Amino acid sequence: MEKIPVFFDCDTGTDDAAAILIAGKMSEIEIVGLGAVCGNVGLEHTYPNTCRVAKLAGIDAPVYKGAEEPMFRPLVTAEEIHAKDGLGGKAGELSDIPVPEAPKTRAWDAIYNEAVKHNGELVVVAVGPLTDLGIALAKYKELPKLIKKVYIMGGSASFGNITPAAEFNIYVDPEAAKMLFESGIPIYMCGLDVTEKAYLTPEEMDEIGKIGTRATEFIADVCHSSLEFYLTRGYKGKFMHDSCPVLAVAHPEIFSGKMAGVAVETKGKITLGRTVSDYYTDRKFDFENAFVVTDVDREKFVELSLEYLKK
Amino acid sequence: MKRIPVILDGDPGHDDAIAWVLANASPMLDIKAVTSCCGNQTMEKTTYNALRICTLIGLNVPVAKGRVKPFLKPPMVAPNVHGQSGLDGPKLPEPAFDVVPEDAVTLMARIIEESDEPITLVPTGPLTNIAALFMAHPELKKKISHIYLMGGGIHHGNWAPAAEFNIQVDPEAAAYVFAAGVPITMAGLDVTEKAQIYPEEFEIIRGLGSKVATTVAEWFDFFFQYHKSLNGYKGAAVHDAVAIVAMTNPEIFEVKDMYVEVETDSECCNGATIGDVHGVLGKEPNVHVLWNLDRDAFAKILIDAVRTYGEVSE
Repeated sequence: MEKIPVFFDCDTGTDDAAAILIAGKMSEIEIVGLGAVCGNVGLEHTYPNTCRVAKLAGIDAPVYKGAEEPMFRPLVTAEEIHAKDGLGGKAGELSDIPVPEAPKTRAWDAIYNEAVKHNGELVVVAVGPLTDLGIALAKYKELPKLIKKVYIMGGSASFGNITPAAEFNIYVDPEAAKMLFESGIPIYMCGLDVTEKAYLTPEEMDEIGKIGTRATEFIADVCHSSLEFYLTRGYKGKFMHDSCPVLAVAHPEIFSGKMAGVAVETKGKITLGRTVSDYYTDRKFDFENAFVVTDVDREKFVELSLEYLKK
Repeated sequence: MKRIPVILDGDPGHDDAIAWVLANASPMLDIKAVTSCCGNQTMEKTTYNALRICTLIGLNVPVAKGRVKPFLKPPMVAPNVHGQSGLDGPKLPEPAFDVVPEDAVTLMARIIEESDEPITLVPTGPLTNIAALFMAHPELKKKISHIYLMGGGIHHGNWAPAAEFNIQVDPEAAAYVFAAGVPITMAGLDVTEKAQIYPEEFEIIRGLGSKVATTVAEWFDFFFQYHKSLNGYKGAAVHDAVAIVAMTNPEIFEVKDMYVEVETDSECCNGATIGDVHGVLGKEPNVHVLWNLDRDAFAKILIDAVRTYGEVSE
């Protein structure tokens, strides 16, 4: 079977790290490039983090530097969850892995180049703010026709997390998100509706740690570091947001949702960054631009995550 | 039993009408007045409907007319749901009495002022009158014991993807009321879309035989036409009635307390009731949000309420 060419854009990030490690072992896909964008923390952390975690995952594809700030706004970060270094204070554990000098090509150009090269077959998985895609769309007007699908972790058909109305990735760069949602590129949206159901319990993290490779011990450590944030809020484990869109590329059957219209609020006083969807509403938009995922078979999600991490 | 003094404020509307049938049937409630607001239809039509409903159900209390339009937005009506009259379907008696000369806000203020005990407000339309009352008479807010309102939706909207009709009609009024510091129980779409009465239950109601019962059944017949045109409805979602039942039968509901704010300045979220479900703002909850209900118990309460009209109207 031919592998699906995937460009992976991320703001590594604790759950990004887990998603990269999984992606690196998925025989169904081929990572053709990674972009590091600002988001959970600044680019000065997400770039080296992404390089090192990709190496740990056995991914040889280049890591490109993405945007250092959102398209039109100052950066908002999520250090409360990911710590100052983006990896739960555990980035130091990977300091022996060399970080290459960044290629001159930036992430938005790399996305375009790969899209051209793969002749309409390229899939983009974007698990951070959508700035790199936004800039790519701004620069290359033919891009929408060249990308097969964008799988995102972002938004929500119901509530937010960074504010009551908005999910973090969309809130950080709502204009970029609006550009993507209005671009005509098919979108597969893993929002909080599904990603908050895709959690790992402390026991499951231990199980990952016990696999015994450097990668699995590292990711178990990283996940444990932000566990308290979730447990004190009454959740059963850490939300593995970013693993959802990655796994969905090869295993859509474990996810469920439907086509819906999604608009992005870029002005609201209290709703800035909200993905307004008609998924649940009587009144519909006159467009359907995204497959909105709202549920996952969590058992299979955990099973698959472990299966890949064991490889 | 000590009865709860209430003022019913609505824009009837089939579900307002059924809400008032329920309220009038409850021995727990002491209805002090009825006020109309514009929403489902224009002020003239909802006021006329309010008078006809009160006449039908024998509710002899002062009825006053509210503000003719929302604070800042032009009126928005829903003829596709409620018909051109705002209450299409069965033939109703002509009003046996007229509105009082006072407007809604003045009447509400006088009743609250003169009352020895705090008053409960039950708005089932846009919150225009209630906001005007609080603005004009801030000192009376402390004499409101509770607001049971139908409006909003924490998960989603209905009239727009982000907004529920009542709040979308007058978002500024709603934002003011939600921030007023008066205890609020919100019967939003989260629960009211689950409060469906099924066609077989229309027949049970019709079978009760009184004039009120056959009228309620025919309101349901009409109202259900709209729901049938949508996806996913097995019955008619009788939104406004939930606000009444929340007061009389709190035991059938699941409630979440949270901080809720109304969006008034946005591209596509005006009128959205944004609930801080995860508590990220760290603000004190200001709303008891009805989250779920026992549908079968709700239907039984509604049928039993209509049954009480059996003796009076035969």
